[in-house]
Amino acid sequence: MIFHTPILTLLLVSALAALVAVWSAGFGISVLRHWDLSSGARGQLLLERRTELVSTLFALVMAAEAAALFLFVFNADRMAALFVGAMCAVGTLNANGYGFPALYGQIASFFAAAVWLVLDHVDRLGRDYPLTRVKYAAVLVIAPLVLLTGALQLAYFLNLRSDIITSCCSKLFTPANAGISDEMAAVDPALALAALALAGGLVLASGVQALRTGRGHGLFALAGAGYFGAALLAMVSTIALYVYENPNHHCPFCILKPDYGYIGYAFYLPLFGATALALGLGAVSPFTARNSLRTPLPAVMRRLTLWALAGFAAYGAVTVWVIARSNLILFG
Amino acid sequence: MTALNRHRALLDFTVAALARRRVKTLALVAVFAAVVFLLASAMFFAASLRREAEATLAGAPDLIVQSLSLGRQTMIGAEAVPQLAAIRGVTGVEGRLWGYFYDRINGANYTVMVPDTAAMMPPPGQVILGEAVPRLRDFKWQGTPLFLSRREGDLVRFDIARTLGTETALLSADLILMNEADFRSFFNVPAGQFTDLAVSVRNPRELSTVVAKATIRLPEARFVTRADIARTYQKLFDWREGVMVALAFVALLAFAIFAADKASGLSAEEAREIGILKAIGWDTRDVIAMKLWEGGLISGGAFLLGTVLAYAHVFWAGAPLFAPLLKGWAVIYPEFRLTPAIDALQLGTLFLLTTLPYAAATVVPVWRSAAADPDAVMR
Amino acid sequence: MITLHGVSKTYNEGRPNEVTALRGIDLAIAPGVTVLMGPSGSGKTTLLSLVGCMARPTTGRITLAGEVISSLPERFLTDLRRRRFGFVFQRFNLIRGLSVLENVVLPAAPLGAPRAEVEARALSRLEALGLAGKARMPVEVLSGGETQRAAIARALVNDAPVLIADEPTANLDTALAHRFLDIVAGLRAEGKTVILTSHDPRIISAAPVTAVVELRDGAILQVRS
Repeated sequence: MIFHTPILTLLLVSALAALVAVWSAGFGISVLRHWDLSSGARGQLLLERRTELVSTLFALVMAAEAAALFLFVFNADRMAALFVGAMCAVGTLNANGYGFPALYGQIASFFAAAVWLVLDHVDRLGRDYPLTRVKYAAVLVIAPLVLLTGALQLAYFLNLRSDIITSCCSKLFTPANAGISDEMAAVDPALALAALALAGGLVLASGVQALRTGRGHGLFALAGAGYFGAALLAMVSTIALYVYENPNHHCPFCILKPDYGYIGYAFYLPLFGATALALGLGAVSPFTARNSLRTPLPAVMRRLTLWALAGFAAYGAVTVWVIARSNLILFG
Repeated sequence: MTALNRHRALLDFTVAALARRRVKTLALVAVFAAVVFLLASAMFFAASLRREAEATLAGAPDLIVQSLSLGRQTMIGAEAVPQLAAIRGVTGVEGRLWGYFYDRINGANYTVMVPDTAAMMPPPGQVILGEAVPRLRDFKWQGTPLFLSRREGDLVRFDIARTLGTETALLSADLILMNEADFRSFFNVPAGQFTDLAVSVRNPRELSTVVAKATIRLPEARFVTRADIARTYQKLFDWREGVMVALAFVALLAFAIFAADKASGLSAEEAREIGILKAIGWDTRDVIAMKLWEGGLISGGAFLLGTVLAYAHVFWAGAPLFAPLLKGWAVIYPEFRLTPAIDALQLGTLFLLTTLPYAAATVVPVWRSAAADPDAVMR
Repeated sequence: MITLHGVSKTYNEGRPNEVTALRGIDLAIAPGVTVLMGPSGSGKTTLLSLVGCMARPTTGRITLAGEVISSLPERFLTDLRRRRFGFVFQRFNLIRGLSVLENVVLPAAPLGAPRAEVEARALSRLEALGLAGKARMPVEVLSGGETQRAAIARALVNDAPVLIADEPTANLDTALAHRFLDIVAGLRAEGKTVILTSHDPRIISAAPVTAVVELRDGAILQVRS
């Protein structure tokens, strides 16, 4: 199953990401050991210049991981035709035990890279690069995650086997339940929408608080993570039903298909972007008191908070629009 | 606003720099576009074959029942028809007659069939031909009869009722449609024997139940569902596309190495320019951003050019470069227009496959040149 | 006001080709026109690049308007440099193939000012330097003096308060050298600080010069003002 163009592409992305991760980790160790801004030595200057390369590489990796995330789901959806019983991406991902873990790893890698880029951006605001050590310690955590994701993906694709007709001509089975989404799908729509609204309220409150006082971004990040969870829950249990106008179709992936006007992108792009920003702000929040960051940081955090709020709001707005437009009636 | 202006200014410089090295830039884009063209052609071609096969299969029966003997397919007796028809949910069972005929005159293999619809049924003594057959036989004028020879000294004449169009040519190019009586006498098939049985089922969800019941009644038979055939085609195409893409991928890799080499072996002129930019106040980041714009313009241009050329090659010209490799399941190549089948997955994959290796290959050399000492031009 | 305390600069530390270009420099550069002079190899270009935030000293402290800049990361040093200093190099270093105007606006690119504003600034500078008519021409057609004036226009496009010039008259005949000194006098009148390196007696004795720093073997021999 490796000889499949999107799979080759995905493997290429993970291979490059793994390469960057390993190299950055090695470089991170030397930063942790030798970083000394007060030194005028050439070695320090070269170290500094090398951080520019790492920042560029991480930005590239994050962009590629984000694209790969969608490609992964998109490809799983199209490959459904190859698996007996698979109707869409869920079936393909369930074709072996590595599918969903690989997806989760991909999401986690994306968020990790995004959080790191926010740290990087903030670090470079301070004239003494106050977060450099934190940043490179974080690389040491992110690198294994990226490697693990790549390994899961490779295992997933290597273990994909579909039966050919000659060996299973009469052994057909009906589409099995997706299993993983069972519990999420079973949540009462009213409850799920209430949870989403509540999470939205918390995000708004903590976001406005952070904007007004310039503090409490940690709380905002927590609220953002909560919103992310609530948004996915609401998607599977309720929103998807409205999109498909079918009370039994819970799939969170099919909404990315052209059949539904690619509406899924209007949901997921703002949601993932906003969550990444919120998590990044949370990661930065312990360092706001650093001397060199006092002047430049508040404006940046304000801007990022506004962007994150806009992203969360966009998800909510698309939800309301979809429900209002749908011919499906779940309530009343 | 500031960031936007900055990028605009960097882009301006990049465009001016590329325009100054016009010949070099165009040569690079052309080579790159050729690689993209190969890759895109393979992908478009396979996707459109897949679409073609899907369209053909949409009209295939829900379930095909074959008789097996010694593990090989043999003729199936008509007595199976009522057995299958008696299963609940089965709406119809048709006996099908089809086979292959080796044409000694030109070495081609024809598929000979009795059509399942009355509209396609030719009158006795006549045949309906697929698009490729008259072409292979080099029929010069309308009304030329088709002579088929089963053995030395044997010659059977058929008049041609009509010739099929090219829409579903992939599966029908080598087709000869015959009347049932003609078919039985031509191939010596006794009455009551069929090649296989086509079963239609009311509700596709009941198919597996129907197959389970049928397996009990006809333990020797083999059951092939439409989905099974679709899967086999899909895999066949995917595999071939994969091999093609793997080949194109090697080309891409070669190009990436070439690009990396080119980017690291900066000409003295370019290195001097970067030195000047750094000296007059450009930061390492500014130079990297400028160079990434350059890479983006080059790979974006190659992506556009390669994709458009591949589209023209596959869908307008009929993919003359690949046809023998990818079709290759029959001796006869159908002559047909491929239906354009492009989706976001393909384009997204192609875009990533194009831009990522180039970016990956050039980023380190770019950084290396951007990290030059700003005071170097003063020494 | 730029001050240096115990500044030294060593190239290729720890390698066989290690060179100490400057040792123990203490110096204060006041507004006006300062000339760094000395034979080649005396360290004046290195001093110029340290003063102009192009490089960091190996040891010692440099302050600019009271702020210590010697231990700033390169990025901030660059940012300071492009806002505070304009550079004219000995070989002028215009980029061939671009027009005069395109060359002049280059230092403004990373700062993200609107293009129309930058071009207006560049054109008025070129006009003041008598190059308005050649703004759209490729730099290759310029004469030696014109090339230098284009380089000066480029150095001033960000309205930097300090102009730094390395051996500005080395490639010029006497008439052009005087023209350059006129420009320097004009800049001084605008309130700009000018720092030059030179071993040209025409410059050292010229009217607008306010201070001369004499260097020998990486150390200061004497300072005259």
